[in-house]
Amino acid sequence: MQSVETRRIRSLGRFGGLFWTGLTTALVLGIAGCANYMTDQRSADTQPAADLGPVDVGSVPRARFMTAQQYSNMIADVFGSDIQIGTPIPPLMRAPDGLLSTTAGSVGIPGGQLMQLQRAATSIATQVVDKGDIGKELPAHRSYLVPCKPKADNAPDDACAAKFIRSTGRLLFRRSLDDAQVADWVGKAHQGAEHLKDFYAGLAGVLEGMLIDPMVLMVVDTTEPDPARPGQRRLDAYSLASRLSFFLWNSVPNDAVLKAAESGEIQTPAGRARVVEMMLSSPRVEHGVRAFFDDMLAYDKFDSLAKDGMVYSRESGAVLKDAREQTLRTAYDHLIVRNRDYRDLFTTRDTFMSPALASVYNVPAVPGWAPYAFPEDSPRAGILNHVSFLALHSHPGRSSPTLRGKALRETLLCQVVPPPPPNVDFSAVEDPDANLHTARERLTAHRANPVCAGCHKITDPIGLAMENFDGAGQYRTSEGGVTIDASGSLDGKAFNNPQGLAQALHDHPGLPTCLVKRMYGYGVGGMTTAVDKPQLEYLNKRFEASGYRIPDLLRAIVLSPAFGNVAEPPAAPVPAIKTAAQ
Amino acid sequence: MRHVTKTLAALAVTSLTASFALADGSGSIADTRTIGYVTTDLHWAFHQTQDVDKDCPEGLAGYGPRETFKELYPNGGPVEKTQLARESLKFFPNDKPMQFPYIYSKATLGVGVNLDGKVGPNDYVSATGEQGIDNALQKVLGCNAQFRRPEGQLQLFGNKFVRTSTWNRTLIEITNVDSLTKSDNVTVTIYRGRDPVLLDATGEGVAPGGTQRIDMRWGKPIIQHLKGKIVAGVLTTEPIKEGIYPWAIYNDVPTLLNWRDMRLQLKLTPEAANGLIAGYMDVESYYTWLTAWSTHHLSYGRLDPAEFYWALRKMADAYPNEKGEMTAISSALTLDMVQAFISHPDADQQQLSDAKH
Repeated sequence: MQSVETRRIRSLGRFGGLFWTGLTTALVLGIAGCANYMTDQRSADTQPAADLGPVDVGSVPRARFMTAQQYSNMIADVFGSDIQIGTPIPPLMRAPDGLLSTTAGSVGIPGGQLMQLQRAATSIATQVVDKGDIGKELPAHRSYLVPCKPKADNAPDDACAAKFIRSTGRLLFRRSLDDAQVADWVGKAHQGAEHLKDFYAGLAGVLEGMLIDPMVLMVVDTTEPDPARPGQRRLDAYSLASRLSFFLWNSVPNDAVLKAAESGEIQTPAGRARVVEMMLSSPRVEHGVRAFFDDMLAYDKFDSLAKDGMVYSRESGAVLKDAREQTLRTAYDHLIVRNRDYRDLFTTRDTFMSPALASVYNVPAVPGWAPYAFPEDSPRAGILNHVSFLALHSHPGRSSPTLRGKALRETLLCQVVPPPPPNVDFSAVEDPDANLHTARERLTAHRANPVCAGCHKITDPIGLAMENFDGAGQYRTSEGGVTIDASGSLDGKAFNNPQGLAQALHDHPGLPTCLVKRMYGYGVGGMTTAVDKPQLEYLNKRFEASGYRIPDLLRAIVLSPAFGNVAEPPAAPVPAIKTAAQ
Repeated sequence: MRHVTKTLAALAVTSLTASFALADGSGSIADTRTIGYVTTDLHWAFHQTQDVDKDCPEGLAGYGPRETFKELYPNGGPVEKTQLARESLKFFPNDKPMQFPYIYSKATLGVGVNLDGKVGPNDYVSATGEQGIDNALQKVLGCNAQFRRPEGQLQLFGNKFVRTSTWNRTLIEITNVDSLTKSDNVTVTIYRGRDPVLLDATGEGVAPGGTQRIDMRWGKPIIQHLKGKIVAGVLTTEPIKEGIYPWAIYNDVPTLLNWRDMRLQLKLTPEAANGLIAGYMDVESYYTWLTAWSTHHLSYGRLDPAEFYWALRKMADAYPNEKGEMTAISSALTLDMVQAFISHPDADQQQLSDAKH
């Protein structure tokens, strides 16, 4: 079992060594047991109920770097959404399982990024303690974010500093600070205030140090012995609180969740259930659900998506931004607000519309975002026919049945489509014969190459059914003057139009099981493997029994023993090299 | 969801099927028989080529505010007798007659419409050979740098405000449309919209497909109805006796163009309408409109307002007053629009709006 390499170097900062500088030249996070952060067992009432899922499975403890959205949510939840944070955390790389979140446990942090983190921390800390400016309509954040007033603004006040450090530090570190830790931070605040003759500047230095502390920036799973499984371990209460919170809220635990961790209540089935219900009823669950679907649907690609403005004049940056938002709004509304069948997300005509997006759908809109239902005679049904999916999985200047088919299989059905061979000849699709008018005709020519045919057979019959939508997601009935044939098939089920494909996907047995696999892996922070099979089978049954309701699936995942159980990491493979001694 | 669908249904929205960018089941021309457009570009319709020497052999206008001032007051003088005196002429141009040479365009080709149905000696020939084009304003301003495209200050800035100023958000809604190529009897209604135009992917143009709510708060005075027909894809309306078209050329200074015999001639597609507004421009209102442009801007085109006023009066060619002086001048604007869905306020919204005012 590896341990987290976290080296914190205290250095003399600009305030004469007043704050922490979490400086590592390359902080490599890996699978970690985190024995050094082990906490005491807090409750004996930990026997899981049998109907909550398999008891002998669990996940490997990890240390994960906070995502950019989690960092942003943390700052907003702790200090308020008016605190500007910049972009201190870069995007992650997508893992082979299709999720970004599962790569958060194996990222490198170069020195340049640490500088960005520190710059952001400095800015945030300055804003938190600023005294405001009425002329600029800036609030005095210190008046409500610092829970006390110092005896004097220009001198240390250890009692007031301790109050701020204890309350704010608890939220940022996601656990209570012990007296020694508080005293340490207070000492730094004291030094800063004394040196700068400014109580709030001293406090800002401390806050800056907290914000670049690896234990704030990383979500570290810490473990303790599991009384229900002698010889085994489980997440400690604080780590369980964090895991729940980052999964359901995509942010840090709030005071109520931390209290349940502090009391040990969260480790009991009934206590965890109470906390989970509270969390699921919180508005913050929208952040969690949106973050999951944003990750699963690979919407981070929107950050670099651009369309050829000469080809798709309506597809502006505003449209692409709204396209992403439309599907996330639809998913949250359909799955959580209305608690509808997950599979119906791919056939529903209910969505939301913005004025910019409406220009691409060529329908009228009302100002702002408003619920919208595609009429019964509309070719659109389900999120597969949203501009987001159609534009994201297309080329800048043309549609791509192959990319769309590949995305559907990989993103929604958890299937793997092999990459094209390195010497593939794309001439039939990229420099087409003028006599080939439609994508179907071009791809038919391309598939004449047997090297290409294998993969295209599993992607193109799906993607060609979406050819009624161009590379911008605009509806069309013809291409190159030829009427589009939107027939296709999905694993043996044939259809003639996009609505038929949507229904076939709706009925595909792989659709709900893929979601279960993705959501569980997302929740525990790692790719699922063969050892997770009993847990996934349990969750699949629960999901089906619930009528494919997402709140029930979320509940089943977080209440299952596996969510908090710790499993040993798989043994490293034995090198297949024979030595001379052998 | 249903309530919003109902709300949308309550809005009288317009749409058309097109060969591209098809409406997503929201209805076609067969259902609505209506299409809307929003103004994106306005330019005074003057014939011009790339060759300024050919267009204006006598050169471009040479006497703007700076030049006239220099000649009139070579040694300066008291402010009230020099600068303020000259500036006051901008507001009271009748106080002094024309004092400087004025360069009129002598081109034979012109842009516009044969307003009077006659072919006269002062009329132009269009680039396509149509005789009798009435556009006397081209004679007055065709050789002024301010009005030449694309670099002329007024062409550049005035047009920029067409998109950015809400005052200029002028819409047309064409109803009773059989098809965009042929309709024997359509009605065109002019409204003001309330919403920003949608920029396209290039960031330079305006994308079709936006939605515009009709401004029934401050836009009622400009609601006008014209009758017309569509032949070979071109909408031609009958003239209305008095017409107005808003065009604030200086930020949001709320100026209007007042026309006599105003009409529209527009080539229609599902995505755009391009063509002309034509008629006889009321001389006094046109002068007011142009002088909303500040003096320093007028200087860029060497357009002295008091001198221009007399040139305008001289070339005015319609609607004589009791003294026999012409009060209107034949003119035309090129008008570019993109398709927009036009949403009408429902009865409840209108009652609320009326009550507020």
